[in-house]
Amino acid sequence: MRRLIWGLSLYILIGFLPACNPQASPSDAVRVRWVRDPESLNPLIIPNDLANQAIGLLYQNLLTVDNQKQVWVPWLAEKLPIVQHQDSLTLLTYRLRNAAKWDNGQPIVAQDVAFTLKLMNSPGLPNEAARTRFSFIQDVRLDSADARQFTLVCRGRAPEYVHDSGDYPILPEYVLDPKRQLRTIPLTVLTQPALVSLSQYPVLADFVRRYNAANLDKSPMNLPGSGPYQLTAWRSGQALTFRRKTNWWADQLPVQQPPLLAVPKQIDFQIIPDNATALLALRRGDIDVYPMVPANEFDRLRTSENGKQALRFYTADSYEMVLAGFNTSRAPLNDRLTRQALNHLFNIPALIKATQNGMAYPSVGLINPQEKALYNDSLPLLTFAPQQAEVLLSQAGWARQGAGGWTRPTAGGQTQALELSITYRAGDATFETIALQLRNAAAQIGIPIQLRPTESTLLLSKLRAGDFDVYLRTLSGNPFAYDFSPILHSASIDISNFTRFGTPTSDKLIKAIVREENPARKAQLLRKFQVIMRTESPIVVLFVYRYRLAADRRLTNLRVSGLRPGYDVTTIEPLPES
Amino acid sequence: MGRFLLYRLLRTIPATWAIVSIVFLLSRTLPTDDLLGQALIDKSVGSRSITAAEREATLLRVQQRLGLAGPVFYFSRIHSTAGTVWQWNGTDNQYHRWLSNAVKGDLGQSYRSGQPVTAVLGEALWFTLPLTTSAALLATLLSVILALWLVCGGPAFLLSILYGIDALPLFVVALGLMLLLANPDIIPLFPAYGMGQQTTENTPWNVQISSYLYYSALPLASLILVKLPSLVVQLHDALRHELGANYANTARAKGLSAYQVATRHALRNAMLPIIVLLTDLLPALVAGAVVVEVIFALPGMGRLLADAAAAHDFPVLVGGVLLVAMMRLLGLVVADMLYFLTDPRIRLQA
Amino acid sequence: MRLHKKGSTLQMIAIGWLLLVASVGLLAPWLPLPFPPDSVDLNNIAQSPFLPPSDVKPSRHWLGTDGYGRDVLTALVYGARTALLVSLPAAFAATVLGTFLGSTAGFWGNSGFHIPIVYWLITSLLFLGAVGLASDFPPLWWTLLLGLVAVTVISKPLMRIPMLRLSWPLPIDRLVLGAASLLASVPRLVLILALAAVQDSSLIGLFLLLTFTYWPEPAHLVRAELLRVRALPYIESARAIGLSGGQILWRHALPNAWRTVRTAFPLSLSDLIGLETTLSFLGVGLPSGMPSWGRTLAAARLDPTAWWLIIFPALALAGTTLALRQLTANRITA
Repeated sequence: MRRLIWGLSLYILIGFLPACNPQASPSDAVRVRWVRDPESLNPLIIPNDLANQAIGLLYQNLLTVDNQKQVWVPWLAEKLPIVQHQDSLTLLTYRLRNAAKWDNGQPIVAQDVAFTLKLMNSPGLPNEAARTRFSFIQDVRLDSADARQFTLVCRGRAPEYVHDSGDYPILPEYVLDPKRQLRTIPLTVLTQPALVSLSQYPVLADFVRRYNAANLDKSPMNLPGSGPYQLTAWRSGQALTFRRKTNWWADQLPVQQPPLLAVPKQIDFQIIPDNATALLALRRGDIDVYPMVPANEFDRLRTSENGKQALRFYTADSYEMVLAGFNTSRAPLNDRLTRQALNHLFNIPALIKATQNGMAYPSVGLINPQEKALYNDSLPLLTFAPQQAEVLLSQAGWARQGAGGWTRPTAGGQTQALELSITYRAGDATFETIALQLRNAAAQIGIPIQLRPTESTLLLSKLRAGDFDVYLRTLSGNPFAYDFSPILHSASIDISNFTRFGTPTSDKLIKAIVREENPARKAQLLRKFQVIMRTESPIVVLFVYRYRLAADRRLTNLRVSGLRPGYDVTTIEPLPES
Repeated sequence: MGRFLLYRLLRTIPATWAIVSIVFLLSRTLPTDDLLGQALIDKSVGSRSITAAEREATLLRVQQRLGLAGPVFYFSRIHSTAGTVWQWNGTDNQYHRWLSNAVKGDLGQSYRSGQPVTAVLGEALWFTLPLTTSAALLATLLSVILALWLVCGGPAFLLSILYGIDALPLFVVALGLMLLLANPDIIPLFPAYGMGQQTTENTPWNVQISSYLYYSALPLASLILVKLPSLVVQLHDALRHELGANYANTARAKGLSAYQVATRHALRNAMLPIIVLLTDLLPALVAGAVVVEVIFALPGMGRLLADAAAAHDFPVLVGGVLLVAMMRLLGLVVADMLYFLTDPRIRLQA
Repeated sequence: MRLHKKGSTLQMIAIGWLLLVASVGLLAPWLPLPFPPDSVDLNNIAQSPFLPPSDVKPSRHWLGTDGYGRDVLTALVYGARTALLVSLPAAFAATVLGTFLGSTAGFWGNSGFHIPIVYWLITSLLFLGAVGLASDFPPLWWTLLLGLVAVTVISKPLMRIPMLRLSWPLPIDRLVLGAASLLASVPRLVLILALAAVQDSSLIGLFLLLTFTYWPEPAHLVRAELLRVRALPYIESARAIGLSGGQILWRHALPNAWRTVRTAFPLSLSDLIGLETTLSFLGVGLPSGMPSWGRTLAAARLDPTAWWLIIFPALALAGTTLALRQLTANRITA
């Protein structure tokens, strides 16, 4: 018995020893908080933002976005593609950088791009999302004289093709297909809409087996890319470690600047799902960079004494907005006056203050106020005005029954009551507060609103089926593309137009915006679009986030921006120790 | 004995099979279209739109790749204009394929990460087992020590404290410990999350163990604190009961001290119900501790299953259920064996 | 003597606390609370307790507010109401269901309950028919009900045929234990999370979920008790005078197990309150807008410095659990 007690105390003692001397971390590593595991680093899948960030360290696209300048810049390509139009086709001619090389020293050539496109279209590979997204690329024409030059043949024409056509990681042919067997299968065979049977192409079936056996989801090191880092450790659900390559091809370039700049010797992504825990970790110095800090914690840190000493704080106006959508196909919300009335029940300034501590900004519509040329500043911002809401409701034919609810007669001779529910992702504090505020304000003027927080998987099917009255969700915009057909065109009902909105005028306008290439005329159309959206009110933008980031004081050059992930991990430089 | 155990084992196999088959079939009847199509809904404004036909074609490709195409079971009912007809599907169905693969040890792939389910479960188990096992062992050890102390004149307020802890659910205990002992504002003694940074290769074993203990101190402590009270109370009662028995009086009359009577004679008898209780622990060890794993951000089995349930990652969920069910039935067999060994009078309906 | 007195004082305190929680919960809508439930005070986010009222509003947040600006005192009061509305009925239903299943399983075992072959045949035919017709006749329950009535009418004359009068035992014990272990084969929290992921959260749903997952606990207790009672001599004599199994179980065996049920009930209630708060803490189960002690505790994770979000609900929770256990403890010794 006594021996047991001794053994136990020893056990506890061993446990306490390291508590006295916390482990020193390697000083050349930048440690970043991630909210969850990226789950898969397969370059064909890219399931989420985190995976996208990690894959950007391992592989390179033809083009990329310079987040701080908010423009598309060439990455593996020498410059943006040359555009030609031929009947209904768009031809985009790229040339790869002369210096670009794989890890084994072989140059990156047009055949690698063709190989990548075949991977993105082959059956049996987890490429369905990529295939759908890049379905406009029909063929690739290689230049017989220049191994680095090629032309992408795209169906139809749209201004977005210029950058969309270069937005996927280029993969090395030599690793997965050393015998170059895929070269025998033309790309057009794979891009055709009908499903290609693997049994018809034994070479392809063989290749698919090899690709799946490489287990790229968890071991991207089996397919070394042209990026500056390699994955050296991945403890699932805990941490990912990326180590800088010692001889990366871009090190040979005379001038090194983003996106061809990679400073940290090592990048550790620490996965901490819980915000409070992440905050503790930052204050203890277990992590260096905490992106997307919740607002109240950001403010508390910013004003706390040790926060001021040890940390530096950044904010950036983002393109990510919180919006409410109305189900325009259902009875109480199928007229625009009722929807407009509800708009006046959101107390947007108070919500910005309460949920974001003022670190967000309002917008009149889907166009971001940062885009001065396109933003329609003649429209007034929405105000919190329950009286005006009541006026609008009575204009819409509703009548209040004493101190009770609102009703109106329908065409069939029945009466209809104004009772709503609001659906949003469960567990999100911002949505919860918005929903509570709306419910309180609506209850004041006699509209009962039920809250329906829903699990995210269930939420999507409910939204798609139109099984809701009002929804809350976030949507990220960007300064490059203005195709609103997925969320507001009547052709996207049952797919991604959850509000089920669509009038002939709006449909025509949305398509005209997509086709328009002249910037001035496009701006005019977009301003008109914002006016129509305000009158019809299928969705209302509540506010746009301001990204918040807290980082260790000794780190500089984070290139903080309003585009995800909100900073540039490859350019971070530690200040010299003083 | 051998025949008895064999019989019990043989009887548990159909039960396991039934449980897992039910869960599998239930999971396959739920719609997964939206789960699989999630990647197609772009959350950013301004990207290209897809048509309904494109969406259908893409979903079909995903289903084919994941083996979700075709009938679910050996027979199915077909609705047609002529009414409903039962149809025999033969062995070319999802259940048959899954079962024959499962027998070979292949439980399919996770919808979310594309990893084999066995690998995902293995990874989580590799983490969960040390945590839950050491929690169970330490809790038992501590409870023996505390119960002995109480019997030999330890302070009675200890029991009150234990009652107090027992009144709190696990999540309150864990939350309290974390905000108390890992908070820079109060006592920053322990790390608040995860399992540490250093790589596991080429570090000496004692550093590995101590770092493991350092990082798992709080989760371990909360698990132990929650299990401890009931164990101590039970053992304490049993010990008191045993010490009142005749043989204990005889031992005391021999001149043994209270401590000696308790450790040499009474403890053995008092431990018997506890040992049997511990067999119930087997599935709990494997299932992990959801609450602790969520609060301390530990990548264990409980969180894996909870996440899989929330995200409808059914292959992982079914695999986890299979594992836990097997452990449970194994635990039952072990319990029977212990009963059999401790008290041969018990002849179960073999 | 002294010990007894101490016990009864504790008992009084426990009953007093429970009465307080129950009355506060029941009367919550009529209490003079300064803030309505779930109202958001966007001007006072995460305010600490006992602060003087602000200039704008005369009413005071006595116990502070959480990160959404909800009054903690109101949340505690309405949390008690939720505990009453959800955990109490669920504990009651689970105890009733568990007692029913556990007593039949313990009393009849695997071979004690015989069902004539007629019933077996008719039930299985009916079941097959119901499965086959499920989609064609939507009012399935009515069909089933009519079928059952028909069975009772038809079976009497059919019993005259000697071959059909034979009976097979229904292995109740094995069925109940099997169902319990089927439930236990998935960890309870994972099971609840999985079920919560496919359905909307509602009070009825949570009630059914709790009842459905918790009944095995009282069932095991009652079954063990009835295994003991079954072997007692007076049950044998009751059989000897020709009482039917159901009568013996209801009139003679169950009253003996009554004490087990009474002690099991407060324990079930305290367990279910713990389970409900855990679920609320994890963010599932309760429909949104219903305050719960677990929800207030969950809000503490957003504000690690807000001690008042932990202390007050934890105290309420611990007090209630301890009081319920105190009731049980005295039952056992009494």
